[in-house]
Amino acid sequence: MIGSALTKVGRHFNRGYKELAGEVISNVISKSGIESVDLVVVSNMLSDSILDQLDLSTILMQNLGMTKVQALRIETGESSGLAALEVAWAAIKSGAAEKVLVVGVEKVTEYPTYKINKVYGKIVDYEIEFIRNITPPDYAALIMKAYLRRYGLKREDIIGWPVKMHENASKNTYAQLGFKVSPERVLDSMVISDPIHLLDTFPIGDGAAALVLTSNRVLRNAEVEPVELVHVSSAISVQMHLRDDITRLPATATVVSRLKEKFNEKVIREAAIELHDSYSIYAYLLIEEFGLANRGQAPKVVNELEFINISGGLKARGHPFGATGVYQVAELYKLMTEGFAGKKFDGKYAIAHSMSGPDYNARLALLQKIV
Amino acid sequence: MSRVLFVPRPESLTGIIGWGVYIPRQRVKADEIAGLWGFEKSLPKVLWIEEKAVASVDEDTVTMGWYAAKVAIERGSINPEFIGAVFVGTESKPYAVKPSATIIADALGVSKKKLSTDMEFACRAGGEGIRLAIALVASGSIRYGLAIGSDTAQASPGDVLELTASSGAAAYLIGPVSESVARFEGVVTYITDTPDFWRREGSKYPSHGEIFTGEPAYFHHIVEAVNMLFNELGLRPGDFDYAVFHQPNGKFPLQVGRKLGFPKEKILPGIVTPWIGNTYNGSALIGLAKVLEQAKPGERILVATFGSGAGSDAFSIVVRDGIEEKVEKGPKVDDLLKRKKYVSYSQYAKSRRLYIRNIG
Repeated sequence: MIGSALTKVGRHFNRGYKELAGEVISNVISKSGIESVDLVVVSNMLSDSILDQLDLSTILMQNLGMTKVQALRIETGESSGLAALEVAWAAIKSGAAEKVLVVGVEKVTEYPTYKINKVYGKIVDYEIEFIRNITPPDYAALIMKAYLRRYGLKREDIIGWPVKMHENASKNTYAQLGFKVSPERVLDSMVISDPIHLLDTFPIGDGAAALVLTSNRVLRNAEVEPVELVHVSSAISVQMHLRDDITRLPATATVVSRLKEKFNEKVIREAAIELHDSYSIYAYLLIEEFGLANRGQAPKVVNELEFINISGGLKARGHPFGATGVYQVAELYKLMTEGFAGKKFDGKYAIAHSMSGPDYNARLALLQKIV
Repeated sequence: MSRVLFVPRPESLTGIIGWGVYIPRQRVKADEIAGLWGFEKSLPKVLWIEEKAVASVDEDTVTMGWYAAKVAIERGSINPEFIGAVFVGTESKPYAVKPSATIIADALGVSKKKLSTDMEFACRAGGEGIRLAIALVASGSIRYGLAIGSDTAQASPGDVLELTASSGAAAYLIGPVSESVARFEGVVTYITDTPDFWRREGSKYPSHGEIFTGEPAYFHHIVEAVNMLFNELGLRPGDFDYAVFHQPNGKFPLQVGRKLGFPKEKILPGIVTPWIGNTYNGSALIGLAKVLEQAKPGERILVATFGSGAGSDAFSIVVRDGIEEKVEKGPKVDDLLKRKKYVSYSQYAKSRRLYIRNIG
């Protein structure tokens, strides 16, 4: 990986997806010092339902005057960004491409919240779940209730995450919600799906992020500081109603165990990590799935974890759906090279984790500093 | 040798002869609405909305507009036969087709030789009515013009709009500057196609673009209109004694005033929304009436309306001698703010016909 670029997540009323994507593409190309790419992988979740646009990668490339490249669009729900990275990685590994541009872009604020929520809800089974009015926040609420009950916790006991995320976002100039919040403010915020409050979840926003990946052959001539993408992995889980224990995230457990088999647990403990905290309860469960805390103990360790979601996470950096995974990796690349969100990182590894809905699919990427 | 002729701005030939306001007696507390729908407890405080006026079953845009206009004519002490135009700015007219202005004009005894139209531009049609009346008076087409802003604003139950959407009316009698107690020094309008708030044909309640109604709509249009006025007249915020803005809530007028460089003290005298809600076409115009009722001759007032869709009219008004006498000729805004009776959410729902009944 030889470059990353991102734009501030927010409600970009005066810019469309072409402008947002165009800005990060032009930034990342000039930063990477390359003149061309072979393949462009565009990740986007909602272009067909919100922008009324199919074949987004073609239309985007046409508008940017990039008609000499191969391009495709990837969509795997909320984890689309890391899925695009997976495809780019595979293309390079297989020798099909040498220089790949990964672009995550999402433009949703053309419409009011109810419409965005409705199309976002389609990441679960439309015919079985959505149609019965079960949407992602409802599942998160059920899981949160089960977690509180299982470990005898009170609602106030799991309030540290959003507070920490807003604190982190206050140092990230690309974050949508760069303000701090108190625990009281989280509890006083509007109930979205009891016991989930507004400040337990992500804001709606637009955004674009981009990465350039190259083969080792191209890398030898690169003048910029590279970071190696050493491992990408994904998994699918069973539906919520088929799970024995809803406080576990099976797809994430699979990708984490694969990572542990291939490397070791130390990698996780030493890495800077970006987790998919679409609802704060997921952050606690993910900390436990990653083995950073024992079951039921995550709320106690939140404040001890320094390099976790230094961007502010989905909670406060924001969650421009299809672009989010690319944001995570772009931020980690910056952290490992020039520094990010007011922080420098001396460690060797970084992990981006993304999932869709209640862990219906999970994806993970491991980045390593080239010493 | 060439001579430069001084051409006065047409609006400077005109002024306010009289004004009147109507606010329904019923009030519902914002906390009760917020509590019912599960809004954040702090939301009414953040928006600065304490309670809102609720039109009863026997009050509508026509009855409220009529009352405000009646008071305006009484304050003006003129014969309604000399009124040559009646404009009603509203987005909640009782009839989809059939003018409200004609009902009000005939009930007031206005001349049959007149112009009379209902106008719709979300919350600023009343302001445009004033501009039209000014133009007609300045051109000599009519002697007096009546511009009314009146609304029983709709809001979908459970929409954040419901905290503020309320009912009320204001009316202004515009005439020759020589007869006026406040003269127009300048007026400009800034309009773009900005879809921040709308109600489609057949829809019972309006829709809005949430946060889009703020920066690109309300703030942008008011700031542009007011800066245009400043440039044309060569005035600065320091030249004004009062600033009155459209008030969708209590917070926005203070924020837009701060952006423009007005201290809070110049804005607060014209604030009414925290206690009566957003009366839409009445909003800025009721605020102006409140300011006229406390201003001294020679003082300068800035008024900026705002209507979604979107546009803003900015007026510079200078108070003239004789205003104090006019104030006493009708009920004051302060009196109407105090005249109130609290109702529950269910009584409010009944008054605003939120319950659908099967009759007959």
